[in-house]
Amino acid sequence: MADSDGEYIEASDDEYMGGGGSYGTRGHGKGKKGQRGDGRAKNAWELSAKTGLESYKESADGTIGKSIQEREEERKRKRWLVNTMLDAVKMPRRRRSVDLSIYERDPEPGIDYTMLPSLPYRTVSDPPVPRAVLLRKWLRKDTKAFQRGIIRHVVLVLDLSEAMLEKDMRPNRYFTMIKYTQEYVREFFEQNPISQMCVMGMHDGICIRVSELSGNPADHISAIQGLRDPKSSTSKEPKGSPSLQNALEVSRATLYHTPSHGTREVILVLGALLTLDPGDIHKTIKSCVQDRIRVSIIGMGGRMHICTEIVSRTNSGDESGYVVATDQELLRELLLATTTPPVIRSSVPTTDGAAAPAESGASLLQMGFPSRVIEDVPTLCACHGNLTRGGYTCSRCKAKVCSLPATCPGCHLTLILSTHLARSYHHLFPLRNWIEVSWQRAREKGSKQCMSCLSDFPEPPSSHTENAAESLTSAANGAVAAATSHIIAANGRQRSGDDSNEDELATASESFRYECRECKSHFCIDCDVFCHEVLHNCPGCLGGAGTRNDEESADTEMNG
Amino acid sequence: MNAIDGTDRHIKSTDGPPPSLLTIILDTNPFAWAHLSSILPLSSVVANLLVFINAHLASGNANEVAVIASHNKRTAWLYPTPAPVSAHNTNGDSSSRNGAATHTQNANKYQPFAEVETNLLFNLDNLLKTTTSDDLSTTTTQIAGALSTALSYISKSTIRHSPVDPTLLESHALVIDDGNLTSQRVNLVSRILVLSVSGDLASQYIPVMNAIFAAQRQRIPIDILKLAGDTVLLQQACDATGGIYMAPESPQGLLQYLMMAFLPDATARKWLVLPSAGSVDFRAACFCHRNVVDIGFVCSVCLSIFCSPNLPDSTCLTCSSVLSLGGAITAAPALIPRKKKKRKRVAGDGSTPGGSATPLPGNGTPVHP
Repeated sequence: MADSDGEYIEASDDEYMGGGGSYGTRGHGKGKKGQRGDGRAKNAWELSAKTGLESYKESADGTIGKSIQEREEERKRKRWLVNTMLDAVKMPRRRRSVDLSIYERDPEPGIDYTMLPSLPYRTVSDPPVPRAVLLRKWLRKDTKAFQRGIIRHVVLVLDLSEAMLEKDMRPNRYFTMIKYTQEYVREFFEQNPISQMCVMGMHDGICIRVSELSGNPADHISAIQGLRDPKSSTSKEPKGSPSLQNALEVSRATLYHTPSHGTREVILVLGALLTLDPGDIHKTIKSCVQDRIRVSIIGMGGRMHICTEIVSRTNSGDESGYVVATDQELLRELLLATTTPPVIRSSVPTTDGAAAPAESGASLLQMGFPSRVIEDVPTLCACHGNLTRGGYTCSRCKAKVCSLPATCPGCHLTLILSTHLARSYHHLFPLRNWIEVSWQRAREKGSKQCMSCLSDFPEPPSSHTENAAESLTSAANGAVAAATSHIIAANGRQRSGDDSNEDELATASESFRYECRECKSHFCIDCDVFCHEVLHNCPGCLGGAGTRNDEESADTEMNG
Repeated sequence: MNAIDGTDRHIKSTDGPPPSLLTIILDTNPFAWAHLSSILPLSSVVANLLVFINAHLASGNANEVAVIASHNKRTAWLYPTPAPVSAHNTNGDSSSRNGAATHTQNANKYQPFAEVETNLLFNLDNLLKTTTSDDLSTTTTQIAGALSTALSYISKSTIRHSPVDPTLLESHALVIDDGNLTSQRVNLVSRILVLSVSGDLASQYIPVMNAIFAAQRQRIPIDILKLAGDTVLLQQACDATGGIYMAPESPQGLLQYLMMAFLPDATARKWLVLPSAGSVDFRAACFCHRNVVDIGFVCSVCLSIFCSPNLPDSTCLTCSSVLSLGGAITAAPALIPRKKKKRKRVAGDGSTPGGSATPLPGNGTPVHP
């Protein structure tokens, strides 16, 4: 571990230089912005260590200058990178490299990491297991079909207090948070296209509104960018203390009139370890519960009792909504985890019988699915009053709107594309997890290639060499991981039919095969990740592999 | 001196056109082809398709092709040939795959062309032979399965082709939030071409939508050549992913359509004026009768689309939750009572408004510890 540490320091330095260089060229084009960014940056990072500072400045103003289109591309790419990263974690042979990036990632001089509380996340005694488990859990969590609140009304509250100037995330918490929340807003609306969001900030004791409740991601992103852009009038330096009570009250007022069939959520990013409230916060919590607002909090640095209380009370006792980000990747992960629609809880039977059934508040919504038109002559659109050549005509009143989803300005019909609805289907009809395949099962099936991508599987070892091979693998993987995977694989073999092992610890398969429970086809790890993360379909089941399994010979089954 | 040469060479190497993967989904629905046989028999379509594939392979050294058949009840690989499953065969993998390919070793034919041709014909023949009368019970095609398979194959090929070491890649992704890596990678440019002959895909609405969404995320255009039938779904697939939709009036000129409209890959398409479908039908299929509707009623719990608000027992047919119809008509009248209540509340309670009154008629019960 010690020598890999040294390697990593070098590698990361190179990265920073490379990053700085490429952005340098960009910076010339937008010189004015760049200078401003630098000047501002000095306030915030005066005390930060030398290494890597240059590149961060550059990347910071590069981000400011980037158009939304560019950001979109970057975001998509990054998502892909994360996918491949997940894959890398699951493949035992690549594990070592993962360890480097996760555990020895902070070579910055000047910060004494021994001073930090020793969290289990950072210990290096047994690196591969906790990280892999974390990622696998993240990949595998929503396989059961819960009722979820698809139509969400979310208030995102950002901490703009002076605690955000801490540099435990780099360049500091504030910039990290701004960067990740922009990404988060995009991802949120991709996952929840018919939801609404509002962004607020806790700044100097009061709660300020950054953007209004709306379904347009561009509004929120430009508003969040405006927070740190020194040119804009809405620019805010982190200052003062946050007030949870004020934040909850303003959020409650914002969510007050939202329809009952949607969820009401407050997502708080809280850097400070204190709250400066004007009154009794417990009263506020009580009224939040009454208004069925669900609060989840992403803290930084440490846990606070009042946060636990807020989360558990507003989520009917469930404290899992209160999480603490110990570093920036975890912050990003935790933020993105909240893009999954929340589970709807059945209403608690209480003495007050009348209120209980309305909790779920399901209703039938009338929606229009307009068709796109292209016109020879430009006409005025009903939403902005601009002359446009094409658009979507409302199915009821034929008014023309520029983009979807939207509410028709003429008749207030909700206009969406069916693709928007379809984006949420995978939350409702999730693809069941695929199970690990033991060598024995692989030999039984005789599968040689991945069902969908035709990449070759390794040959199963003959029975008498199996034990030797296993001991080899365990030596390579680290004893704990291999042992767990072996046990799990054995369990999976025994109980592969039932659902009881869905929640079990998922690990890499020893035979590099993953089996769909429905169609019994075998897939490789890349396809496993791709199908569960992106596609949400099983190529085997849809390709008719399951129906032919029993009646046909093995040959045609694989062809089919 | 060395440094100057090195940089020049480096720039040139990344400048060439990226390799292109063309995935063709051939709809082999026997009913549709039987219907089409007088105008355009399957055999001539396959012949035209082979010419098209050869043109694609010839237009770039690194270009690749994959062909998937979307049959009645299943999907099948036409090219590359999958290895047949047989237990306890140590070397069966390579030998069996060659078994299909080594039919002809014609010296007068470019080797990659010959390989695609023999494999494709062999597998198609095999597919048609193994189609039993039992398979013909359904008249639709497994387009969702074919699309899913194609997308997984493309995603795997993209991973395989990315020249950047994955270990390097992930540290970049995690530590630095910048896009300068893009310039170093020569990614595979992929696209999907669907030769569709059957209509009525409403039964596969959700899986096809999932596939469209995945393609959109991966930025893989889905091109549709519609020889017969009509589907709303595939048109939406084209529109969402930026592909080309064509429904030729005279299918006899298939090869010309293929060559003119579908041969240029995503890199070349930036410079071309593409055939566009004009207005696109974005209507959705309702879950109850599979009707295509333009104003629908959506269950707020499961987002199922229904064509009429008069559901039996006013319960959702998909998730069987009780639905109130109030919101279905209009949401606007909610405004006036809200204002009245708000004022009352503010007057009644000082700093913590609404602490006592339950604001909406059916609100949650307070959970107090």
